[in-house]
Amino acid sequence: MPKYAMVIDLQSCVGCGACSIACRNENNVSDGIYWSNKITETYGTFPNVRFHYMPTLCNHCSDAPCVRGCPTKAMHKLDNGITMHDPDKCIGCRYCMYNCPYEVIYFNWQDPHKFWRDTRAVIEGGTSSPEEMIQKVNSGKGTPYSNPARGKTLPENRPKGVVEKCTFCDHRINAGKIPYCVEACPADARIFGDLDKPDSQVSRLLGKFKPYRLKERLGTEPNVYYIRSYNPARYERTKGGI
Amino acid sequence: MKAIKIQLWYGLLLLGILLGLLTAYRVLISTGFALYAKTDILVWTIPIAAYVFFSLTSTGLAFVSSIPVVFNANRYQPIEKRTAFLEISVLMAAFTCLLLHLGSPWNAIYFLFSPNFASPLWWLGMLYGLYFIVLLLSFWRMHTAKTSKALGIFTFIIAIATSTVLGWLFGLPDARPVFDANFLAMYFPLTGFASALAAVLLFSLAYHSFAKVPLSEGDKNLYNDISKLFGVVMAFTLIFFLWRTIVAGISASAVEFAGFRHMLGSGWYHLALWIGLVIPLLLIAMPAVRNATWGKVTSAALFLVGMFAGRLEMVLSGLVMPTGPKAEGQPPFVSYWPTIWEVFVFVFALAILLLVYTLGERNLKLAEVPE
Ligand code: SF4
Ligand code: SF4
Repeated sequence: MPKYAMVIDLQSCVGCGACSIACRNENNVSDGIYWSNKITETYGTFPNVRFHYMPTLCNHCSDAPCVRGCPTKAMHKLDNGITMHDPDKCIGCRYCMYNCPYEVIYFNWQDPHKFWRDTRAVIEGGTSSPEEMIQKVNSGKGTPYSNPARGKTLPENRPKGVVEKCTFCDHRINAGKIPYCVEACPADARIFGDLDKPDSQVSRLLGKFKPYRLKERLGTEPNVYYIRSYNPARYERTKGGI
Repeated sequence: MKAIKIQLWYGLLLLGILLGLLTAYRVLISTGFALYAKTDILVWTIPIAAYVFFSLTSTGLAFVSSIPVVFNANRYQPIEKRTAFLEISVLMAAFTCLLLHLGSPWNAIYFLFSPNFASPLWWLGMLYGLYFIVLLLSFWRMHTAKTSKALGIFTFIIAIATSTVLGWLFGLPDARPVFDANFLAMYFPLTGFASALAAVLLFSLAYHSFAKVPLSEGDKNLYNDISKLFGVVMAFTLIFFLWRTIVAGISASAVEFAGFRHMLGSGWYHLALWIGLVIPLLLIAMPAVRNATWGKVTSAALFLVGMFAGRLEMVLSGLVMPTGPKAEGQPPFVSYWPTIWEVFVFVFALAILLLVYTLGERNLKLAEVPE
């Protein structure tokens, strides 16, 4: 059985956010929900400031607290290491959100893509309403640009009252493809693969660079690894002073 | 005149229930949880705090109602039946809050078909289900004028199990060390017991006042005893409350405790401390006040108000500090003020509690002493 993992090379990442946009399109992610997200940090005071950008997603932890706490096994592990969610079993208690130390699970507070249900024309007398448009293009479901492939392992659009999160694009993996955020990254900063294969690109990278994972001390065993960091700066060598 | 007052009371409770049904329709069917002041950071708010408040009060009532059978303290028998019925009414209020907290409550059927034994929430769900059935059975036995020792002991054990499992539930995540499972497994049963004593005083004295049943010497002694016990348990609660403040709020420096440090400055915290603990404890400490009906009612009511604020403060303290990607664009701490719909959830639960209890008081002879 494969053990899927992702390596994110922070030296290559340019912080463009293409991964997040790609994820949104691929998985029909609704407004306000982020399967692919980021942590940004700023250090120092102008002009000595530094900006850090760190892409985040579900870490598909090997010992996932979200899975441990879920009462109905709606949140569960697949044999290939993916942490998967089954909305049909989800009671919407949000205990997984409370348990996940990485804040990557989102709740559908309302119907998805609500603005596509608006019956008012965008320009009165000039355009159709979002609702008319969606009726014509997608029989009233989701968005006009909905990706039907997502519907193979999850509802194409998740209903209100359940949680959702990144699935490592399990539907694409089933079809022999890599996650869409990896494919879309213009800087090849995301590398996906099987840790059980010693010669996979992810295994090789982890052997070559000192990797780290988020909140490792919690023992959740995340399967998203970070390597390197972007820093072209030089500094004048001195011993400091008092 | 009396009939008008009763009708007015029922009318008020029905209004509360109608508001609750409207909330249930809007939250679960039409609009969704966007009606609550919840965000991706504050994922648990008033409905869960109210659930904790009611469910722990109910388990505390189970301790009180089992005193005669478990500890052979027969002088508590006159309140046994009322307390047992109160447990059921309060638990129904707790279930109401839970129902309006869950996004898809109908999927709860998977508690049976897809159980996760590693989840404290699964155990809690099953235990509360069992607890409710045992309570009904136990009350039915009392109503048929017999107390069952076995059921009494069983209720007592399940009450301990449910309140400690609730502590495990909050304390499970390593990511939120501000909730310490060991501490909560003691604090929850203790505060549940204190809330129950307050509720027993309030409801029993209300019965005497509304049904115009004068307090006999025996009643007076019993309620004075309960007030004394209430004072002692409240003092322990204050000690635990202050220890939590010192350990998790003042001396701990880890960033995960910052949410609680922030809550120390909140109105909810001070309501819990001053209105809910210090003032009622001072009142109860004075024998003249403790032995007077107004003293008992005031301290019990203040304690319950403070306890509710304390439950909310506790829930919020683990959530108010945004972390990870959800901290993007957020202030260091988010603030919380409930929406009217969240208030309606509480009103709904309270109306159900009071309606069920009133019907019981009027039809089920709760003042009766079972054999
Ligand atoms: S990152 Fe969070 S949601 Fe993902 S597997 Fe780990 S605990 Fe679960
Ligand atoms: S919200 Fe759903 S997935 Fe999360 S713990 Fe509750 S039932 Fe499980």
